Amino acid sequence: MQAFIQDFLDDFQRNFIQDNRWKYIVDGLKTTLVVTFLALILGVALGFLVAIIRATYDKTKKLKILNFICNIYITVIRGTPVVVQLLIIMYVIFASVNIEKVVVAVLAFGLNSGAYVAEIVRSGIMAVDDGQFEAGRSLGFNYVQTMVYIIMPQAFKNILPALGNEFIVLLKETSVAGYVALQDLTKGGDIIRSRTYSYMPLIATALIYLAMVMGFSKLLGLLERRLRNSER
Amino acid sequence: MKKLVSLLLAMACMLSLVACGGKGAKQITSLDDLEGAKIGVQLGTTGDIYATDDYGDENIERYNKGAEAVQALKQGKIDAVIIDNEPAKAFVAENEGLKILETAYTEEQYAHAFKQGGELKEQFNKAIKELKEDGTFDAIVAYYIEGKGEAYKSPEGIEYKGKLVMATNAEFPPYEYYENEVIVGIDVDLARAIGDKLGYEIEIADMAFDSIIPAVKAGKADFAAAGLTITEDRLKEVDFADSYYTGVQVVIVNK
Repeated sequence: MQAFIQDFLDDFQRNFIQDNRWKYIVDGLKTTLVVTFLALILGVALGFLVAIIRATYDKTKKLKILNFICNIYITVIRGTPVVVQLLIIMYVIFASVNIEKVVVAVLAFGLNSGAYVAEIVRSGIMAVDDGQFEAGRSLGFNYVQTMVYIIMPQAFKNILPALGNEFIVLLKETSVAGYVALQDLTKGGDIIRSRTYSYMPLIATALIYLAMVMGFSKLLGLLERRLRNSER
Repeated sequence: MKKLVSLLLAMACMLSLVACGGKGAKQITSLDDLEGAKIGVQLGTTGDIYATDDYGDENIERYNKGAEAVQALKQGKIDAVIIDNEPAKAFVAENEGLKILETAYTEEQYAHAFKQGGELKEQFNKAIKELKEDGTFDAIVAYYIEGKGEAYKSPEGIEYKGKLVMATNAEFPPYEYYENEVIVGIDVDLARAIGDKLGYEIEIADMAFDSIIPAVKAGKADFAAAGLTITEDRLKEVDFADSYYTGVQVVIVNK
């Protein structure tokens, strides 16, 4: 038992303390958080926009061309893997410009997440009863006002669990950012592993992702409970 | 709605500004110019390990594949790539506008790696010695590097008593690479020749370079042949057979 603990401590020292290797993990964690956060904002903005266009078309048959463009966007993004999208953005779209890798990652993951968020939000909008919409219009609200004050608040509550799910997927999906030599958390662990050949960085990386997701789920749970306060 | 659109437009404008703000690539003409330059390497290779020591962690860009580092170099995303001589030649031959610096970065010894304490290492040493003496090894090298003669063929009528799994990263011409959907190369032919001598069939497991040593350590592969250099750190993890080839690390830059 003592030998095992000694081995573990030696391994730990070699993987994280020696040569300041823990810095790879910390720097990687920072990059992962920055990419996830910015991609989240881009994804949500894009997702809501696309969802509103699509829902408006579904309800009123207006915005036909925009709806068509959104459909193409969703089909292409959902139909191709995020790693391939990332590589295409890096090596095809920005082939001739020396662009920051973080920007590439934010764009790739944001665009990717946007397509999924759009469908989640649209499902929420469509799930709100048509009677709510009619009630809004008969009270004198115009279309936009009905959307903003009546439909969206109800839709938001419906989609929160699915949206949270998407954020968790996004956070974990950023682990492929290493493909464009961006040093995110996973790549940070991989760099240590390529020096020490130990299992430890993998476990550490997994634990950090797990902790982040658990923390996030907790926050989401709190928000859901708050939003349910109005239900009686 | 209009607000959202204008916000998005503003974002697009900002992004395009960022996209154009990248600084121009640095022209490298000798090893001295590498100081402060952005250097691309393949994760976990000796090029990665030495360059990190020599030029500082923050200047090294670690790609999963050597070919991706070369692509980034071509597009001016990095200033130089440090990689083994033979793959470098293959990359430069394929890509106009790239060249190899005349001065080599460093020299190194390639060898097969095994799980520590196994008996395979001694058998490999003996087989490699025989293959070098009877000219088989030279013939393999001549075929893959100079394009002379033929690839190695197993003698007919061999009865194998089992198989050995060889861990490699088949993106490293001419040591191991895909040709017509089959993995070929110096390391592959040499492994087959050794296998024929020892009575084992060789099965190739293609994996990421940084997974090779963990795979051998964990017994997922019986040995590794991947242009693998003997280093002190690696010797703590695996056993190495006698070196079969001297590799050279070189620097690829834009012309």
